[in-house]
Amino acid sequence: MNRRGFLAGGCACCVGGLVPGPAAAQAAWEIPARFARPDAGSDEGGLWSMMDREEVRLRKSPFSLRDPKLQAYVQDIACRLAGEHCPDVRVHLVRTPLFNASMAPNGMMQVWSGLMLRVDNEAQLAAVLGHEIGHYLARHSVERLRDAKSRSAFGMFIGMFGAVGAVGQLGLYAGMFAYSREHESQADSIGVLLMRKAGYDAAEAAKVWENLQLEIKARPDGDASRSPFFATHPPAADRQQALAELARASPAGAANEVQWREGVKPFLRDWLHEEVKRGQHEESLALLGRMIARSPALADYRWARGEVYRLRAKEGDLDSAVTEYLAAIAGGGEPPDTHRGLGMIYRARRQSPEARTSFQRYLELAPEAPDSALIKSYVEELRT
Amino acid sequence: MRTLPIAALFFLLAGCASVEKVESGERSLGERMLVSLDGPWNKVSAPDREPAVVWTMEGRPVDELLIYSGIKNEQVIHATAMGANRKNFAFRSGMQPDEIVAMFEGMLTRDGSTFKLVKLAPADFGGAKGFRFEYSLTRKVDNVQLSGLGFGTVSNGELFALLYQAPRLAFFPRHQPRVEQMARSARIKT
Repeated sequence: MNRRGFLAGGCACCVGGLVPGPAAAQAAWEIPARFARPDAGSDEGGLWSMMDREEVRLRKSPFSLRDPKLQAYVQDIACRLAGEHCPDVRVHLVRTPLFNASMAPNGMMQVWSGLMLRVDNEAQLAAVLGHEIGHYLARHSVERLRDAKSRSAFGMFIGMFGAVGAVGQLGLYAGMFAYSREHESQADSIGVLLMRKAGYDAAEAAKVWENLQLEIKARPDGDASRSPFFATHPPAADRQQALAELARASPAGAANEVQWREGVKPFLRDWLHEEVKRGQHEESLALLGRMIARSPALADYRWARGEVYRLRAKEGDLDSAVTEYLAAIAGGGEPPDTHRGLGMIYRARRQSPEARTSFQRYLELAPEAPDSALIKSYVEELRT
Repeated sequence: MRTLPIAALFFLLAGCASVEKVESGERSLGERMLVSLDGPWNKVSAPDREPAVVWTMEGRPVDELLIYSGIKNEQVIHATAMGANRKNFAFRSGMQPDEIVAMFEGMLTRDGSTFKLVKLAPADFGGAKGFRFEYSLTRKVDNVQLSGLGFGTVSNGELFALLYQAPRLAFFPRHQPRVEQMARSARIKT
């Protein structure tokens, strides 16, 4: 295990970790008092120091999403879950188009943009953050630390590598160093408990898992076990069922879907653009299909699905792309790229008037677009 | 157990040593592309970038010139051994310039790096109609911000492209003229 991997292990990666625990264990568990900073000479104190240094790097990272309003919004959700531990939990939003969140033992919490794109409401985000806070409150990382220290290669690697590197990388490794099933079960139980205390509908926790499963099953190989997140965790159906069972013990609570949509609205187009450019077409189509079913009139979703179809370009995809682009335009407020995408397909099909009209509309809406020179050359070409 | 990390370090360093000088003058890149160099380059062994041939001025990972010569329809444009769970990016003969750039964007961001297109314009390359693009890339592994420059064309259904990227403040401006000159000199045999 290298140092970065170890540090990743110090963070609680929850993506695959929504593992239900026994309701009895949840009932017996009590939220601990705020933690004092461990002695610097102790193993735990050393881990905190390393994480402090990582947090300094994270603050400066170009991947850090620096928007005070969104930051305050997500921090507030975390605080509602963390209760009296709120002053110790520091949320950092990270621009990475993957579903992930993590929490370090010193209170540094990372929330990735791919997670924020995928959750439907506050309660679903709270399910993930609550799980992370569950690891923190149960101090699972200390057990991980002591387990890592027992491995002979650990000390050598710590000495060999000076700089740790990008903090954003941590989550990528975290899945490989997942907590034990017992830890995951406990964190999940705690997460549901915190959701209830904060007034969220705990039934949304199972939906997070259900939604993620849709994307994983859509992969060309359809093999969830190849994902590091799933390699160390119980079967999906068991987890989803047990989470739903935990939620049934205390129904009701808020989902806050409207608030969440308003909160992330300014970022949606950027996040969708990053999702499309991941090139994971089948996963993106599953994700967008779910989103469009919830909000069929939202032009951004229809544009994004059109882009995915156009870039995948399998048989029938270009027809589907045209349908999506036209639906985006019909809905109004479509991204300018909608017209570019349409123009590209019409040009390839030698439908010159339609292509020219689409490109001209794109240039009207986005005159400073980085590819405007190329599009202008197409407009000229289509005149002849 | 202590020998394992030492051996790993040895092989890591040994891999770094695989460098070959490319002299100035006319050089063949693959079977169909020729370029004229006004100065020497270093060719490095980079299995992680295959099928691209990789040249550098400063040494990887500081800067790299990726040379794609004669990439065929459906050919994957990156190494597939590592990260087998991730999607492959493959060239299709019918791709338009924006799709080719999107393909390179996908390839360069497989590790979580972020890519931003700065400019995409038509340009002759290799004696044929092609395109030129500029981009910025924030590398995930070390947060370094790079500038990038690319040229491409499709000839007889095969892709020919050059991509150069380097840290934006010093190294990229230092070597950009050399890359531009090389791209201008490119000739593709039909």
